[in-house]
Amino acid sequence: MKVNVYGAGLSAWVAAACLAKVGNNVAICEMSATERKELNKISTVRDEPNLLQQLEQQIDSGRLVRHLQRALPEAEIHWLAFQPEQQNKAEGVMDRLCQADQDGVLVVNQCNFAVGATLDLQERLGEKGCVVYIPDNLQEGSAIQDFSHPKRIILGIDQDEALVKARALLRPFSTGLDALQLMNSREAEFTKFAITGMLAIRLGYVNELANLADQLEVDISVVQEGMGADARIGAHYLSPGCGFGGQNFHAYVSKFSGIFEQQRQQQQSLLKAVVGANEVQKELLFRKLWQHYNGDLQGKVVAIWGCSFKPGTASIDNAPSIKIINALIAQGVQVNLHDPEAMPNLKKYYTNEGLIRYFKTPMEAVEGADALLLVTEWPLYWSPDYAQLAEVMKERLIIDGRNVFDKQMLKQHAFAYCGVGR
Amino acid sequence: MNSGEIKAWVDLLAHAEKMKGRHLRELFKAEENRFEMLSFVAKDFLLDLSKQRITKETLGKLTALAEQQDLHGWIEKLFTGEQVNVSEGRSALHTALRLPKENELQVNGQMVTTDVHASLEKMESLVRQVQQGQWRGFDGRPIRSIVNIGVGGSNLGPLMACDALEQYTPLESKLLDVHFVSSMDGSELEKLLPWLEPATTLFIIASKTFTTVDTLANANTAREWLLKASGKPVELINQHHFIAATGNVEQAEKWGVPEKNQLLFWDWVGGRYSLWSVIGLPIALKVGMDNFRDILKGAHAMDVHFRETSFDKNLPVLLGLVGVWNINFLNIHAHTILPYDGRLAHLPSYLQQLEMESNGKSVNGKGERLNYHTCPVLWGEVGSNAQHAFYQLLHQGTELVMCDFITAAVRYEGEGEELQLQHQLSLANCLAQSRLLALGDESASDLSYQHYDGNQPSTTVMLDELTPETFGGLIALYEHKVFVQSVIWEINPFDQWGVEKGKKVASSLLAEFKSDVNEHLDSSTKGLIQRVQAQRGQHES
Repeated sequence: MKVNVYGAGLSAWVAAACLAKVGNNVAICEMSATERKELNKISTVRDEPNLLQQLEQQIDSGRLVRHLQRALPEAEIHWLAFQPEQQNKAEGVMDRLCQADQDGVLVVNQCNFAVGATLDLQERLGEKGCVVYIPDNLQEGSAIQDFSHPKRIILGIDQDEALVKARALLRPFSTGLDALQLMNSREAEFTKFAITGMLAIRLGYVNELANLADQLEVDISVVQEGMGADARIGAHYLSPGCGFGGQNFHAYVSKFSGIFEQQRQQQQSLLKAVVGANEVQKELLFRKLWQHYNGDLQGKVVAIWGCSFKPGTASIDNAPSIKIINALIAQGVQVNLHDPEAMPNLKKYYTNEGLIRYFKTPMEAVEGADALLLVTEWPLYWSPDYAQLAEVMKERLIIDGRNVFDKQMLKQHAFAYCGVGR
Repeated sequence: MNSGEIKAWVDLLAHAEKMKGRHLRELFKAEENRFEMLSFVAKDFLLDLSKQRITKETLGKLTALAEQQDLHGWIEKLFTGEQVNVSEGRSALHTALRLPKENELQVNGQMVTTDVHASLEKMESLVRQVQQGQWRGFDGRPIRSIVNIGVGGSNLGPLMACDALEQYTPLESKLLDVHFVSSMDGSELEKLLPWLEPATTLFIIASKTFTTVDTLANANTAREWLLKASGKPVELINQHHFIAATGNVEQAEKWGVPEKNQLLFWDWVGGRYSLWSVIGLPIALKVGMDNFRDILKGAHAMDVHFRETSFDKNLPVLLGLVGVWNINFLNIHAHTILPYDGRLAHLPSYLQQLEMESNGKSVNGKGERLNYHTCPVLWGEVGSNAQHAFYQLLHQGTELVMCDFITAAVRYEGEGEELQLQHQLSLANCLAQSRLLALGDESASDLSYQHYDGNQPSTTVMLDELTPETFGGLIALYEHKVFVQSVIWEINPFDQWGVEKGKKVASSLLAEFKSDVNEHLDSSTKGLIQRVQAQRGQHES
């Protein structure tokens, strides 16, 4: 089938790659500043594992083209993958489809605009075709996998005649699934927001428990196991940490809490409180350091391991590390950074910041440091050479934002250790 | 001066005899273009003196008096840093606080402008740190609440400015809340503290001398609250929760404020003229440094106007001289300040201090007693609220009162229609009141209690719009007006010896509450102390 994919974010690139791979002829209409960049210069593409390679393969095969003209290429399927704040662009596409000499198009809306947005787009499109909604469930770091082999697909559909084409389009990705889960578009949009919000609240609650555990000197990891064993709760999303980040998760949650605010006329919503608390949580490691040194950080050297917002990605969008680094710099701290992927992004973010130094290996970064802050749990940090660590650091202080280190082992090497809730 | 020997003064006395018999109603009838003749515009300000009991001739005689008293010479002395504050041997250089960086001013070999801007820059970096959430409290969280502890000039100016300019709060200050406490008895602090989180609260101790007992008492209470909540050592609390805006480094240091948290100003800045200095820190935190600099810019524009404009078009000069006319020649000794704009709610109390503390004096600069009246009793309130309080007296009482109506022509542009209507309603009331006060009620009524005499003189100060710049200009307008009057009256407006003595008496009385009452005290004071002691004893038993 002929498919146009619109957008320049992660979900647009992934959809384009995956739809082309299964035989569709895909044109990606970026409609943004990325149009002038080579693929390997686009950080969203570069930072996602396998994505660049996939895109290049599909372009070589001729099934994927980057469409740069203003006129839309002709297609029977239009896949909208804009950012939450780009609703006007989606509306623009609808308006242009209306003017085109073509009927019976299928528009797949994968954008998280608002509950009811799909119906609004349908109204703009009128009789020219149908708009359906498929929530974007991609996780950064495993986006290709998530798209190609989803565990389930929710399809928000308001007109029966759209079903045949939609099913056909999704078929390569839904074999092995019992069925598509069908609902109307408003319900599907709401479901997407509800899931994201639920996860955020869960994480927020776990973080709050961890902070309390800190004060009561209870080990949260033990509590976490106990909670996870309860079938009503389950073990997912129970790890406390120093805040969630990332482009998508953060944008969805903020957007959803915004919807709550509107509907409830600015009353404080649970979700808004969680988003606020998460921002505070991102500075947790800084606060622990601050308290350890009684607010006197001027001139200290602090090493940070892991700066991307989560392991497996080079993205630093809304990452806790950024807040921590900013706080440290403001106190006149010399910051030594290591991250296996995010260094180029960090160097771009902090141009000419004299207090930051970058290191090729984790061990070099901690040399002479007054503290080590583990912010992102890349696997290579999990089992360091404790003896060497003890030897090269100036002060034996480890602040572990992801609870990955062995507390007993650190104790043996006379480290002061602060985890999150342990 | 011996007023009887001054020609211009004697002239005015004779002129006043003629004017006293003339009602404003009559003056308006006689001169159809009174408004054109007697209103004055300078940039964003309009000063309407047509509802004053004056004519062009009066203004001519008043400016002659100003010439006679060498107002020109005094203005130059003020601006160039001569020691106009004779009794304390200091200059009064609040105008230097708003000089642009490139205007160099040297006083006694000291580059004043350089010092001023260095101090502003230190303040700016501190403001930025707080706004960016990088000023940290004892547990490492960013500061979110600011409490200014200060009294008099260290309170009224910043409080007024923060309130007046709240709409200009920039995004980066939206998360900050700024509070003011001043009262010696701790009432405000006691009410405020339960609402604040110790770890995220920063106190500004604003005191020129750093010995003001009111302020230190509040600061000590605040510190005790923090120590108790944090369990941290006092040095850490001082370091992260207290900033001093002061002229006395030693005292600030002694109290415990570390050097990096000290913002300094100089003895040539009077307390009631200090909102332009680092005393303005709460303003800068609340409305941002850019707006704070705009306040300075607006005040500087008024300074230039005051220094360079001929007296017959000079707003502060005219405002001051008309005051002198009312006080010394029409015998009016009450003055009310009526802003028709809720944003200027604190202006009356600010001007109470500015005017009464500056010119509430009865000896001249040489210490000789004066044989004429000086600063009147001054009070005020947001005009529309005052209508429901003391306007009855203005309209039908036995006292002559001069009024200042202060308003902005434009407000709520681009906002809700209802809000714009509210502004118009307020303007209509402002104009109606000044009109009625001036003209009275002509319609003959048999009922004497329904009669309005009128002939109460008033000035209207109309800003185009209330902005940081016009706000700065407005305050500078009144500062210079006060200075003009002080020159006519030959007063030193920059000292306040009448305030000092009371402080000393209070500190000596403090001991009396604990022990047996000194027999040498007057019977009233003795009686009151004994009553307190007796009541205390009852409560304890």
